[in-house]
Amino acid sequence: MPEMLPKFSTSVKLKYVKLGYQYLVNHIVTFLIIPIMAAVSIKILKLGPEEILTIWNSVHFDIVQILCSSFLVIFIATVYFMSKPRSIYLVDYACYKPPIMCRVPFSTFMEHSRLNLKDNPKSVEFQMRILERSGLGEETSLPPEIHCIPPNPTMEAARNEAEIVIFSAIDSLMQKTRIKPKDIDILIVNCSLFSPTPSLSAMVVNKYKLRSNIKSFNLSGMGCSAGLISIDLARDVLQVHPNSNALIVSTEIITPNYYQGSERAMLLPNCLFRMGGAAILLSNKRGDRNRAKYKLVHVVRTHKGGDDKAYKCVYEQEDPQGKVGINLSKDLMIIAGEALKSNITTIGPLVLPASEQLLFLFTLIGRKIFNPKWKPYIPDFKQAFEHFCIHAGGRAVIDELQRNLQLSAEHVEASRMTLHRFGNTSSSSLWYELNYIEAKGRMKKGDRIWQIAFGSGFKCNSAIWKCNRRIKTPTDGPWQDCIDRYPVHIPEIVKL
Amino acid sequence: MVSSMAGGLIYDIKLSSVGPGKVIEPDVVHEPGDMDLAMKLHYLKAIYYFGKQAFEGLTTLNIKEPTFILLNHFPATCGRFRRTESGRPYIKCNDCGVRFIEAKCEKTMDEWLEMVKENASLEKYLTPNQIIGPELAFSPTVLLQFTKFKCGGMSVGLSWAHVLGDAFSAAEFMNTLGKVVANEKPNRPINLAQMKTKSTNTKIPEKIMEDPLSIKRVGPVGDNWITVNNCKMEALSFSVNDTQLSHLQSKISSKGTNFSPFEALSAVIWQCIAKIRRESEPKVVTICKKSEQNKADGNNQLISVVKADYPIVEADPSELAALMKSASFDEREKIEIASEKDDGVSDFIVYGANLTFANLEEVKCYEFEYREQKPVYVSYRIDGVGDAGAVLLLPGLPKNGGRNVVAILPENEVIELKSELKREWFMD
Repeated sequence: MPEMLPKFSTSVKLKYVKLGYQYLVNHIVTFLIIPIMAAVSIKILKLGPEEILTIWNSVHFDIVQILCSSFLVIFIATVYFMSKPRSIYLVDYACYKPPIMCRVPFSTFMEHSRLNLKDNPKSVEFQMRILERSGLGEETSLPPEIHCIPPNPTMEAARNEAEIVIFSAIDSLMQKTRIKPKDIDILIVNCSLFSPTPSLSAMVVNKYKLRSNIKSFNLSGMGCSAGLISIDLARDVLQVHPNSNALIVSTEIITPNYYQGSERAMLLPNCLFRMGGAAILLSNKRGDRNRAKYKLVHVVRTHKGGDDKAYKCVYEQEDPQGKVGINLSKDLMIIAGEALKSNITTIGPLVLPASEQLLFLFTLIGRKIFNPKWKPYIPDFKQAFEHFCIHAGGRAVIDELQRNLQLSAEHVEASRMTLHRFGNTSSSSLWYELNYIEAKGRMKKGDRIWQIAFGSGFKCNSAIWKCNRRIKTPTDGPWQDCIDRYPVHIPEIVKL
Repeated sequence: MVSSMAGGLIYDIKLSSVGPGKVIEPDVVHEPGDMDLAMKLHYLKAIYYFGKQAFEGLTTLNIKEPTFILLNHFPATCGRFRRTESGRPYIKCNDCGVRFIEAKCEKTMDEWLEMVKENASLEKYLTPNQIIGPELAFSPTVLLQFTKFKCGGMSVGLSWAHVLGDAFSAAEFMNTLGKVVANEKPNRPINLAQMKTKSTNTKIPEKIMEDPLSIKRVGPVGDNWITVNNCKMEALSFSVNDTQLSHLQSKISSKGTNFSPFEALSAVIWQCIAKIRRESEPKVVTICKKSEQNKADGNNQLISVVKADYPIVEADPSELAALMKSASFDEREKIEIASEKDDGVSDFIVYGANLTFANLEEVKCYEFEYREQKPVYVSYRIDGVGDAGAVLLLPGLPKNGGRNVVAILPENEVIELKSELKREWFMD
């Protein structure tokens, strides 16, 4: 029975039936109203013009009634507009492009690894196998201190990296949006693993001489999904402060967190995490409505930390030699899958068209009442979104999501190519992916984008944007000099 | 990895790598020729000394940046050796890069140069000394060392594996770096693509020929590309100014034949060394000269051999000079045949197989400018020289003229040579 079903569903007939069903359900209101309006207008026309006039004159309104009804209407309208949440717009964003001196080809990474881990050939072998299958390319970047043999990650080197990345991104953003530092009302910086005192947000305030009454926040320890947490925080703060804008900086500072030991589970992040950062400007100002690139539609946050296994699956700890690193558990993919399911259960009703929701409801009822063996219906999110930005956490993450959401290769292309060109840049990877889509000229006005990020905790966060205006293919940005080479075919295993 | 050398004279040593800025095409290789493989156990070391202004105010990243552009034009220097199934070495151009070493010296540059005058071997601390091996796939062929002196001066040390090319190629590499720093575009193609060729040499072996005199079989060294000497080799370096040179040339010239500085100096030094070596005086010497062809990369020196049938010690220097002048038979082809016989697996040395004289007068070593600053002094030497020793003739400082001579000999001979030269020829 299951084999027959796929053959049947790919037949042309069923395709048209499905299309018809979707059209019907999604526009049900239109389909109901049109016949009613038609009937009413036919009836009125049947009556004839004199009869219409007599009916009109017989209905006489008291002045009090008219005033009361208008006040009621105005009152309801005011309450509605006042309680509507402010629209949040993304004016523009800028991604950091590392200089060529930070480039790390595979061969250099392996050679340094061999020299640094002289006494642990098995660990070196493990790293090589990870790198071969990682989906990274030969142009990813590591900060200057990590290029040393052995790396000597001092606080000063970490601050240097933070300065280079954050200030470059902000400078680029300011140039694009023509905003002045004193116009920034809210500042949020998120960097998971480097949290000096004074904070990175204080560093930004100091460098750009931001106002003394700025609302600044610094989020640390929140993992790769912290970028969307920052967006959520900015949205909430912008509800309280009218006519304001928020500068968000998402980055991950690699220098102090490069694992220098030889435990295999903790060497994995070294192979995947790379230098990167992004600066984003959000605004709730009326004036920015026309020039903003995107409008924020929803942010959905799911936290699975209540489950012990999920809590411990990305865990920073010391290895037996006392070297600190991040331990990734073997259940990571399973937990990610569960977190994703949780998240899309909440998102589904918000974004899916009525047709998909109905189908999902029917299959759910069917499974509960009739036959639990029915395959759960996976709603077709491709109908809700034109573009997908899946956090480039690793090849496995993208594969898993592609499978779970039944996405085509083109939908996950932005994620895979970002992983190839920039590696896993943690919270900023979503912005590199968005930039890829723009650079390829695929973003059109009205397109809906779904950004999904996973992070330690275990968290799965989503943000949904709508493209607000026509976007010209950018001539600057991190993809500018290499977009023509993409997409590339990424082999399963790269021969080193 | 040591963080200081020579009892703290050189300290604060940091290692990293620099590579090409652009990604190379996949499967690009560089296949060294037979002549190149015959030179694989030798390493060229060059030191360029710059005054304070050249590197003032530059951070390490500023210094590294031009190398990333330079290396786009030299993909072979960034690759690593592999062996084919038959064992022949080739370079896989995989962007691995060049090793970059930073160090500091506790002396000022003037103090250092004074020390080096007494003991030229100190210069080995200013160049990286890593050989290729024991793991070919993880050994860089080119290494750079930037040593900052107490006065702010900087020395740029280069270690260049001779298998990549001769001194002329190495100088070209450094001169191109100078051009990149000056924002000039190097007129070399980027990433010379050379797809891997299947081993084409199915030549029927010629009749078994004897190895030419200019080379000596050693080893087998396996994957450790250095020859083992029976004694420690030391370097002696001295300069000869124009007056001394012309005086010498006139002293030697006879019957109206004029000898070039190279011939004159070589003859003189040959005789001095013969005197030092007494019974085992070198009757055969190898001569390396710049070839007439204008090929840029690779090992293109003319290698010839001269043999004296008479005792050197009593000979007239002008006879020796004449003998050197007459040396014209190019042994390169013979060397290539010997090298190719077992497909590049055998190990040879050229420098030091016999007492070797290399004419590097025309090496453009003073053309490497850094931010419009010329080097204060340049010294070249060769590591991995065999026991018979080698003498290199280098150009002197452009403003002074003259020549620089570097003699790499067993350590007991060095002192004797110095006194011998002082005594006989009034050179210091």
